Amino acid sequence: MSNKFGVYICKGCGIGESIDCDQLVNVASEKHAPAVIHDCLCSADGVATIKKGVAEGINFISIVGCSKRVNSDIFQFDGCMLDRVAMRENVAWTISREKYPKKTENDDEYFVDNVQLAADDYIRMSLARLEKVKLPEPFILPSISKKILVIGGGMTGMSAAIDAAKVGYEVTIVEKTGALGGYAAKMRKQMPVGEPYDSLIPPMVAEKIKEVQAEKNITVRTNTVVARIAGQPGEFTVTLKDPSVQIEFDVPFPLPDSMKVDENGKEYDAEKLLELYKEFNKGKNDVLTLDPNGELFGAVILAAGWRPDVIEGDAFKHLGVGDADVVTNAQFEEIAAKGKIVRPSDGKEAKNVVFIQSPSNGDDRDFNYAGSVTSMVALKQAKYVREDYEDGKAYIIYQHMRTPGLTEGFYKNMQQDNGVFLTKGEVTSVEKKGSSLLVSAKNTLLGESIGIKADMVVLAAGMVPVTADDPVVNMAYRQGPAFRDNGIFDQYADSNFICFPYETQRTGIYAAGCVRRSMTIEESMEDATGAALKAVQCIDSVNRGVAVHPRSGDMTFPDFFFQRCTQCKRCTQECPFGALDDDEKGTPKPNPTRCRRCGTCMGACPERIIGFADYNIDSIGSMVKSIWVPSEDDYYNAPMRILCLYCENDAMPALEMAAMKKSQIDPQVRFIPVRCLGSVNTIWIKDALAQGMDGVFLLGCKHGDDYQCHFVKGSELANVRMSKIGDALASLALETERVAQFEAAIDDYDKIPGMINAFVEKVVAMGPNPFKGF
Amino acid sequence: MSNQYIIQPDLNFIDEVVGLGGDTLKKCFQCATCSVACPIAPENSPFPRKEMIAASWGLKDKLVGSADIWLCHECGDCTALCPRGAKPGATLSAIRSYAISEYSGSVPVIGKLAKMVTDPKKLALLTAIPAAWLALMAFITMFMGGTMEKIFHVIGLHWYHVTEAPIAQARFISTWLVDMTFVPVFNISLLIFAYTLYKMISDMHANAVAEGKTSKETLDYKEYFKTIPVVLKKVLKHTQFNECGENKNRGTAHMMVLFGFIGCLIVTTIGFFFLYALGKPGPYSQWWPFKWLGNISGIAIVFGAILMIKERLSKSDLSAYKDWYLLGLVLILGATGLLTQMARLAGMEFATYAIYYIHLIAVFHLFAYLPFSKLAHSVYRLAAMTYAEYANRK
Repeated sequence: MSNKFGVYICKGCGIGESIDCDQLVNVASEKHAPAVIHDCLCSADGVATIKKGVAEGINFISIVGCSKRVNSDIFQFDGCMLDRVAMRENVAWTISREKYPKKTENDDEYFVDNVQLAADDYIRMSLARLEKVKLPEPFILPSISKKILVIGGGMTGMSAAIDAAKVGYEVTIVEKTGALGGYAAKMRKQMPVGEPYDSLIPPMVAEKIKEVQAEKNITVRTNTVVARIAGQPGEFTVTLKDPSVQIEFDVPFPLPDSMKVDENGKEYDAEKLLELYKEFNKGKNDVLTLDPNGELFGAVILAAGWRPDVIEGDAFKHLGVGDADVVTNAQFEEIAAKGKIVRPSDGKEAKNVVFIQSPSNGDDRDFNYAGSVTSMVALKQAKYVREDYEDGKAYIIYQHMRTPGLTEGFYKNMQQDNGVFLTKGEVTSVEKKGSSLLVSAKNTLLGESIGIKADMVVLAAGMVPVTADDPVVNMAYRQGPAFRDNGIFDQYADSNFICFPYETQRTGIYAAGCVRRSMTIEESMEDATGAALKAVQCIDSVNRGVAVHPRSGDMTFPDFFFQRCTQCKRCTQECPFGALDDDEKGTPKPNPTRCRRCGTCMGACPERIIGFADYNIDSIGSMVKSIWVPSEDDYYNAPMRILCLYCENDAMPALEMAAMKKSQIDPQVRFIPVRCLGSVNTIWIKDALAQGMDGVFLLGCKHGDDYQCHFVKGSELANVRMSKIGDALASLALETERVAQFEAAIDDYDKIPGMINAFVEKVVAMGPNPFKGF
Repeated sequence: MSNQYIIQPDLNFIDEVVGLGGDTLKKCFQCATCSVACPIAPENSPFPRKEMIAASWGLKDKLVGSADIWLCHECGDCTALCPRGAKPGATLSAIRSYAISEYSGSVPVIGKLAKMVTDPKKLALLTAIPAAWLALMAFITMFMGGTMEKIFHVIGLHWYHVTEAPIAQARFISTWLVDMTFVPVFNISLLIFAYTLYKMISDMHANAVAEGKTSKETLDYKEYFKTIPVVLKKVLKHTQFNECGENKNRGTAHMMVLFGFIGCLIVTTIGFFFLYALGKPGPYSQWWPFKWLGNISGIAIVFGAILMIKERLSKSDLSAYKDWYLLGLVLILGATGLLTQMARLAGMEFATYAIYYIHLIAVFHLFAYLPFSKLAHSVYRLAAMTYAEYANRK
């Protein structure tokens, strides 16, 4: 089917006043694309005009008006490829006619009409893109499993399983131990889960277990762990096993760094590394070998929970660690669950208990992995002391007492007890005095150094996510069985905490509950619902052949031209989501449903063989090349051309907010949106400079440990690639300063115009690109 | 650690303070808004934040002997601004009440009264004692005609306490018997104060030394007593009350009652002089200037009491039994005093004696229970303010 082009130019929102739209029609006609001008395209009449064209066979449509971020519900035409030209945001609103007036009769032919030049370029860019893209076709798995695997049979896992089962999905819970319940089954009482949040309630776990057992869609496998998860969402092949045995489908582990080098510290070559890797994982099948007896699942919910931290070592010596009567909160809970609170050392009644929330090692940090939950646990356990003994006294010495949101009600109520004493303070020592302990603290709210005689001391051990000890998910992915870079999240299973809760760095695997951050039972149950919905969304998206998130509904997926692949493995290694598994030779095996469509592989590929139907090396490259770069031959004082490749996720909305505020941006800049800076292939930058553009800059998310990149690694990888392009520029005798990368957050709309204009000024000061005109 | 303070919470103490009107004290979360809000808290170690945590931890020893709890005039600024509704003002008031009971309760034998005075269930008993005694006195006066005069005649004294006036209080209960009741009672109260003040002042000093709130190392009683006039001037001027932001009117009302009592004290002293030195018993003519003073004082007491009751009623959750007991007593004292006179002038014999009987019961409450009730604040607060002034508490 041949593609028929159509250009629709909107005159609304100030475009008509600022830009000569008839001239745009002329530009379009250079490309033999018929163009129509309308006063307001988003009106019913405007849409009808486009539909008329579609009915006449137009299927590749350039809508020249507002950004694709707005009116996307109005401009929807089935079976058509759309290109939305943000003429309003990129030209009419940001390049003012007051500063750059229209050409008048007095002006000669060398008059530079900056506004019109920009508008003309954007028409050319749109048509160049439309020529190079195809209508996407979804990737549909030959067969799809809609079953959900839940790892962990605690409150979170059970809640997630129930939620998913109730909406009609078959669920299997795997539980490492012999029984459902998790930590919740070991408690005497639990924190409240609803209004008025004021008192302890009996554990809800027994009821939850009954509910799971009554649900016909749920299968429970106790004494079971995941040996490996292979494949991709919609067709995960999962091998389950008894935790005590070793099997051939245990997941292979990557070589530890220490084994990758010889005795001189030099890294082995690839062949030797492969040999060592095989030796290291002897007896285990490769990640690409599918378990013929594996069970198929569509998505996975990771609810493996936490373990109490172990408090030991010299750093905690001053807290009396080692004494039988100095216990952790978890040990205290065990004692409380058994009956009255008694001392471990001699079984005598423990009526005076001091709860220590912070180790006070010269700063005010709490114990590792401690937080609001451990604060509330201290309040809860203080109440146990009071329940058991009328003359019981419970002291809580804290650096931080955190009871967020409505749990403030719980704090207030626990505080009301006459025998519960709270103070901020630094614990200086815990010493044995006869049969009891003396807890000393300074800088307390009581204004002096205090001593408390205690029968028992309870330390607020934090809740360590189990992913700190073990991958748990055991993914048969080339990038390794565990989530990558979890170190920056303190080993919590997470990817981008603020924007995408539940989502891990692996598509189709959703974390919930305490493996994600420490939570109360109430929070865990709510979290479980979120993860269950996410798993359902994943299965449904895979079923329709579209991306789950963050590009929800995106039908495209990376396409590889394998004949030209040099097996450099860069795509496999750089994919932030481990979507590619290469074989022994290094040829990548794509797993499209693992993919999030960021295009990082496309940006990485030195052979430029990776692309998407509507977004590829050629489509962006052609847009770059379609920008007209005027030279001294055209004008006495030729304007410069500077290319901006900007991220669609945060930089684009930020720029458009700036446009709404009519912030002025230098008219010498041409903007091209990209899916992620990670998808930027350096060839585009080289193309731009080769055709005489004077500067190029990337505008994307913050990277580093506190990254804001929606695709985790994109902006960071772009930064690495940009540093390398600098050498290439230097060899061409071009100033490396002509190329730059800027970080912008979504709320930086007030700073971005200044950043851009400053860069333009710098480039102008450097003078024109010497390659101009060649 | 040498200066370590060993925590020994007293759960009973918390319960008692809660019962005395400090029921909100456990709500405190130590933000110290109260200490910032308080217009009279000193800059060094201000109150009442530290008192709030000491109270919620049951640290009786830090509070009972502290002068700071008495520096508070319960103006209510802290209570109004407290974000948690912990009512520091009411809590301090409850602690003071506890302190009064603690000190007066330590007096041998009679100390038992301390608990009774703060217990509403004991009010009937505490009223029945003077009622019975005064009824006996009335019986003696009215039916055993001139008993005291006869006794005095035996020892050669020719004192008359009854005038020619047809209605006179002395015809109902002999002035002799009244004075023989109240002069000893009042003096016993003074002795109790002397006893408890000695303890309290040394406690205050010890507490101030321990918490670094004093410029003095040892307590010099001579210097201490020399400070009293300076403080008295402040008390009479109500300097502290006037710094209050929340309940400005209380200062005026309190001043009316205080000056009313002082006026009555002066009038009573003059009456004593007339009776015993000049042999001139009452009732006296309404034209006499000291009668004017007496009437004005009575009116001041009544109005002051009504004002304070009105204000407390508008904030009904602010007040405990101890507050209502004192205010009720003051109102009854003033009102019955004035009404007795009015009934007498109106020639209503029965009403005169009946009201007078109530008045005397009230006076008994005032004198006998003074060291045990909230009214003791007049003495303890003066002592504490004097200490603060003496110790340069700033």
